[in-house]
Amino acid sequence: MKVAGSYSLPVPPERAYAILQDPNVLAKCIPGCEGLDRVAEDEYAMRMKMGIAGISGRFDGKVRISGKNPPVSFRMSVEGAGKIGFMKGDGVITLSAADSGSNVQFEGDVQVGGTIANVGQRLIETTAKMIIKRFFDCLAHSVEQVV
Amino acid sequence: MATVIAKPEPLVGKSVRRREDPRLITGTAVYLDDMKMPGMTHAVVVRSPHAAARLRSVNAKPALDLPGVIAVFTGADVKHLGAVPCAASLPGLRVPFHHLLAQDRVYFSGHPVAVVVAADRYIARDAADLVEVDYEPSPAVADPEKALAAGAPAVHPEWPDNVSFNFHQDGGDIEAAFRDAEVVVKQRITSQRLIPTALETRGVLASWHAGEKSITLYSSTQIPHLMRTMVAGILGMNENKLRVITPEVGGGFGSKLNVYAEEALMAFISMKIDKPVKWVESRRENFQCTIHGRGHVDYFELAAKRDGTMLGLKLKLIQDLGAYLQLLTPAIPTLSVLMMPGLYKFKNIAADIVGVFTNAVPTDAYRGAGRPEATHGIERMVDILAAELKMDPVEIRLKNFVGNDEFPFATATGLSYDSGNYSAPLKLALQQVGYESLRREQVEARKTGRLMGIGISTYGEICAMGPSAALPAGGWESATVKIEPTGKVTVLTGASPHGQGEETTFAQIVADELGVDIDDVVVIHGDTAVVQYGIGTFGSRGTAVGGAALFEALQTLKAKVRKFGAMLLDAASVTLVGGECVDDATGKSVKFAEIAAAAYHAKKLPPNTEPGLVATHFWEPPNFTFPFGSHIVVSEVDRETGEIEIRRYIAVDDCGKIINPLLVAGQVHGGVAQGLGQALWEQAVYDESGQLITGELTDYALPKAHFMPWIESSHTETPSPVNPLGVKGVGEAGTIGCSPAVVNSVVDALSPLGVRHIDMPLTPEKIWKLIKGGRA
Repeated sequence: MKVAGSYSLPVPPERAYAILQDPNVLAKCIPGCEGLDRVAEDEYAMRMKMGIAGISGRFDGKVRISGKNPPVSFRMSVEGAGKIGFMKGDGVITLSAADSGSNVQFEGDVQVGGTIANVGQRLIETTAKMIIKRFFDCLAHSVEQVV
Repeated sequence: MATVIAKPEPLVGKSVRRREDPRLITGTAVYLDDMKMPGMTHAVVVRSPHAAARLRSVNAKPALDLPGVIAVFTGADVKHLGAVPCAASLPGLRVPFHHLLAQDRVYFSGHPVAVVVAADRYIARDAADLVEVDYEPSPAVADPEKALAAGAPAVHPEWPDNVSFNFHQDGGDIEAAFRDAEVVVKQRITSQRLIPTALETRGVLASWHAGEKSITLYSSTQIPHLMRTMVAGILGMNENKLRVITPEVGGGFGSKLNVYAEEALMAFISMKIDKPVKWVESRRENFQCTIHGRGHVDYFELAAKRDGTMLGLKLKLIQDLGAYLQLLTPAIPTLSVLMMPGLYKFKNIAADIVGVFTNAVPTDAYRGAGRPEATHGIERMVDILAAELKMDPVEIRLKNFVGNDEFPFATATGLSYDSGNYSAPLKLALQQVGYESLRREQVEARKTGRLMGIGISTYGEICAMGPSAALPAGGWESATVKIEPTGKVTVLTGASPHGQGEETTFAQIVADELGVDIDDVVVIHGDTAVVQYGIGTFGSRGTAVGGAALFEALQTLKAKVRKFGAMLLDAASVTLVGGECVDDATGKSVKFAEIAAAAYHAKKLPPNTEPGLVATHFWEPPNFTFPFGSHIVVSEVDRETGEIEIRRYIAVDDCGKIINPLLVAGQVHGGVAQGLGQALWEQAVYDESGQLITGELTDYALPKAHFMPWIESSHTETPSPVNPLGVKGVGEAGTIGCSPAVVNSVVDALSPLGVRHIDMPLTPEKIWKLIKGGRA
């Protein structure tokens, strides 16, 4: 499944680029994130809770950042597996300057399998969009608090 | 003749109420999951969430640490056992070795990887989540046409083209037919994957008897005896050490005409842990892991004369097999080829099947098994031809039907149609629906923009499976009739019925033949230790083959009863009627119960006669039977929403002689419900990565009671010469006749918009887009 969208953050691209890779901010803003531990350079172990279509469960997974081109773009890969199935996401995040601060665009692929795919397929797209929106809303909010 | 013997009114032909129903409607029937045993344990199967992956490791330790867990079995534990069997054979068929549990790879989402056994089902379910499986996912392909494309992921790495078999059949001279053709119509027609969805999911209970080194296996199946032979084969044990018992079965529709890994697994596990073990399939597992049906992509070409005379039919059939071959998987599309000419007399055909592996659960027999696809194909093609020639769909059918004087009719595919009067049900259906006036209404409706359609399907099908030459394990059926010492009658049938109502219809036959009260007859089935070997119930064979075996056993027994009757009456000849033997000369009689007692007490025996009154008959059918009929659907399509309303549903079915009209009506209704399901709503969908995204009843649109139109069902009756009862079979007819009638009707409704064909299911979304876009 393709996912894409754009959000604005009230900080310049240099700062947005840093925030988007700050493990403390990510841990706080990834919906359902219950822990994010650095395991290597640009690689984190993540524990996340997710619910969809009446089923919920925990995922153990990894977040990896690659293709770093500050402050313009980077690639983020997320994968996790748990009792209710597995998910894999991979996308490129591109930043550009805007009047309000910076514009963040992302474009990627999400794949889910197991029970969440069998049961929740019709809700996955909207759920993914909702999760991403909540992530950026939280980011914007955090940034404002810091600013 | 000295006496006039009053013959009681026969029960055959009467709507006798089902004797099965009281236990079902009072909830006292015993299904697999109702069964309990002392010390019984529970199994849950760990299944792959990936459609294709290498299995790096399976770690059962965390599951074993959970209190209450008894054992965990993985691929290594069952590697030495036999494969889940495929009984069908075709030249050059590639059959992957179907291990009971995944070895180094998984091939579809839901592939069994391990089995957890625990003291109760909840613990087993929790423990299943604790089994750590390390998968290395690889690309998957679930669409058969994509699987054939160059560069597609290989389902089985050893066969990179994903082809299990190619099969060619032809008859007549297809080249000449197309050379002589004045018109050729072509169409790609799909029959989507369907999920059989028996109300009762599968289930197995195995109990090992260490003292006897034997196993009793309870399974919700259509084929207890075949299962006994095959499970014993998988385990390498003597089949007479395995007893298969089939409790009440809540629907099969072909999905339980199979031997699955779980049956052999539970038998093996019970032996290993020396305890009874039960596994009951969840609905999600049923969707993911029990066979699916259909899965065709068909390319048809029909050659004809401008006057509508059909000359020949070409078919390229792409069969989605799934990842493995289950019991009859590769045989199902060959049935489609056999029936591709339908009821029409043209003698030239050519068919090429390519059986394709995909990363999906295997397809196999589902109600109709190959014939709904064939009928859908030919009946759509006839309508497409009629539209091309601007002929009435009735006229073109009548012009091409096999004539009444042509039976037995040798078809281009090598079959011999037994008997028929193909125009009779069509004419009756047309009269019932008021065809001429509907066509006039349609003309008016179109003037005001209303989308109204009339769809006709005239189906033929192949039943009473079948002569032994055509079935891997034999196609006969068996019956034993025992007249007990008190004159009560016990029937043992090898055709293990599972909802067809043979406890009733067989008792009707016995009551008529022996002249006993129907309440004195008991029909027993589904226990391999009690019932002589049998083949089972599928392919509309229960009555047409199993009933014929019963009839013949009864004839043997009647001759013996007459011998004892003549002895007791000291008569030269006697007639068995109304529960008595009557002396043809004097009119004196002796009651059935007295004869039975005499046969068992055996104080005196007729010459060359053994004591007792028991007869067994194994009946071999000389041919299939070929039921036929006409279904007409009047539909109205809502321009704004794409919603289809079925205004009328006429079904005129000719299933030969009818034993019980009530049960036949039930079969027609159920069959039509499943046909409508395919035509309008149901579709099993795998996504690009091989995930089944219609994994539950919330996403798979099984018809509900309020979706159903009123079915106006009636019959013509053309007896079959194939069996002594004259019956043909009706278990699948409704499903087979239905879908083309629906699609023909909706295409007819949308034809003013230029629509020529629509693939099933005809969802409102699809129809709405066609109305808005105006293109098929």
